Amino acid sequence: MSTQTPETETETETEPEAESGASAAPDHQQRRMDEKRARAEARDDAAAQAATEFEGETVELKVFRYDPEVEGKEEPRFDSFTVPFEKGMTVLDALIFARDEYDSSLTFRHSCRQAVCGSDAFFINGSQQLGCQTQMGDLEWPVRVEPLPHQDVVKDLVVEMDHFYDQMESVQPFFDPDELPDGELDEQRQSRENREHIKLSTRCIWCGACMSSCNIAAGDNQYLGPAAINKAYRFYMDEREGEQKRQERLEIIEQEHGVWRCQTQFSCTEVCPKDIPLTEHIQELKREAVKENLKFW
Amino acid sequence: MAERYSSFRSGSTTWLLQRLTAAFLVVVLAFHFFNLHFVTHAYNIEFAGSQARMSEVGYYLTMVLFLVTATFHGVNGVYNALVNQGIEGKAKRAAQIVLGLAGLLLVVQGIRVANTLAGF
Amino acid sequence: MSESYDRGLVEDFGRWTEFSAGMWAWVFHKFTGWVLVGYLFTHISVLSTSLQGAQAYNNTLSGLESLAVVRILEVGLLAVAVFHILNGIRLLFVDLGVGLEAQDKSFYASLVLTGVIVVASVPTFLTGAF
Repeated sequence: MSTQTPETETETETEPEAESGASAAPDHQQRRMDEKRARAEARDDAAAQAATEFEGETVELKVFRYDPEVEGKEEPRFDSFTVPFEKGMTVLDALIFARDEYDSSLTFRHSCRQAVCGSDAFFINGSQQLGCQTQMGDLEWPVRVEPLPHQDVVKDLVVEMDHFYDQMESVQPFFDPDELPDGELDEQRQSRENREHIKLSTRCIWCGACMSSCNIAAGDNQYLGPAAINKAYRFYMDEREGEQKRQERLEIIEQEHGVWRCQTQFSCTEVCPKDIPLTEHIQELKREAVKENLKFW
Repeated sequence: MAERYSSFRSGSTTWLLQRLTAAFLVVVLAFHFFNLHFVTHAYNIEFAGSQARMSEVGYYLTMVLFLVTATFHGVNGVYNALVNQGIEGKAKRAAQIVLGLAGLLLVVQGIRVANTLAGF
Repeated sequence: MSESYDRGLVEDFGRWTEFSAGMWAWVFHKFTGWVLVGYLFTHISVLSTSLQGAQAYNNTLSGLESLAVVRILEVGLLAVAVFHILNGIRLLFVDLGVGLEAQDKSFYASLVLTGVIVVASVPTFLTGAF
């Protein structure tokens, strides 16, 4: 078991104390710090001991670690954490346990814990999945957790999402209808059939799993990617979309780095935690673009 | 999208052509293989036989169309593979020129061969 | 957050054991495509000997066909072409939006069918090769 070294934690914990007590007598300060360190070590030992003495099943978690700001951690490596297994435990639960019990510096994004916010997509045992949606019991052990591939790692499991968000915004994900209803409070209605048509595409939670799984997005940085194209689909296929906007949107998705780059590997469709048929949507847009262009001939 | 001046114009045209040539090639390539490995064995091919086949106008036209579609499909396929790798700027322009010229050369040379065999 | 770590190519091809059916289909289709384009160019070059007359053409072709290596490579070419054709048909259906749910099965089917056709063709291709 290679959990974090206690030294690191004590250092960070005593930092504020050291600053505030800088004017106090050095001896006193030194003694206090020693005492504190001893206490912290004892506590860590106890925790470590407790960890090895879990009753019942435990599962090993191998987590990718990288921190460019701390000396000795710039080299990426894997840390192992032994976590008590409970029925119903998700990968996120296990990570939270590891962070709270072993190493408070373990960094990852998470928020709602129920597959809605889309912030905890990780590369779990070789595929992109939401930590909160993936049961530890369904995985092969030990469980390997890495940050999403094809994105720069900022720290541990946190990746740079700016490029993904830029691509999402580049398809202009907003309504721009030709005409608004007369009354100020009138709704802009959509037929049931049309709602069904775009239903699945509206499920996207911007987690970035699809983009990360896409081989082409990895090579061609300008490729819009599955999520952005799906977002375009959501508006393009909506009957309330204005004609002007529809043409503009079509030009965005049928540019060289738009839909044509999709090589139908189905990677995105397979990893999407919301089961959006991404490849199908991209294919439909390709056919739409062909049809639109044939009309001009 | 203002900058759309490349000869390999992006978009639906080349995509559609790639699929249309594919549909044609599936049939003709299968026929070609069957014709020159099972009907006539490859190791029995001689000038006289090739000449006899190529003198038929239908065969000649099919083969020339086969050559043109296969060249387009192949060269465009290679170009797409390069774009998928993220090729850009000068390298991309160079790829377009080199692939375009290679394709043109292949078609010209192939037609010369076909003409020779057909006796034109 | 001044620095960030890019894990490079390892995450693509270092993980080939974790590739799914669709990715393998793409890899094979691309590879066979390269081979076929390469062959198209050599094919026309070889046939170009006809420009120098019937004798040169016959000598070149029979010379090549007498080599066992060439005969074996021809079987390889058949395998490559058949896979590219069958997976190409699969991709045409995918482009038409037909049978997307069965895309993995259709890939396996094209692999198996390629194998069967190639094995069945070996006798015809290798007659008199050795």
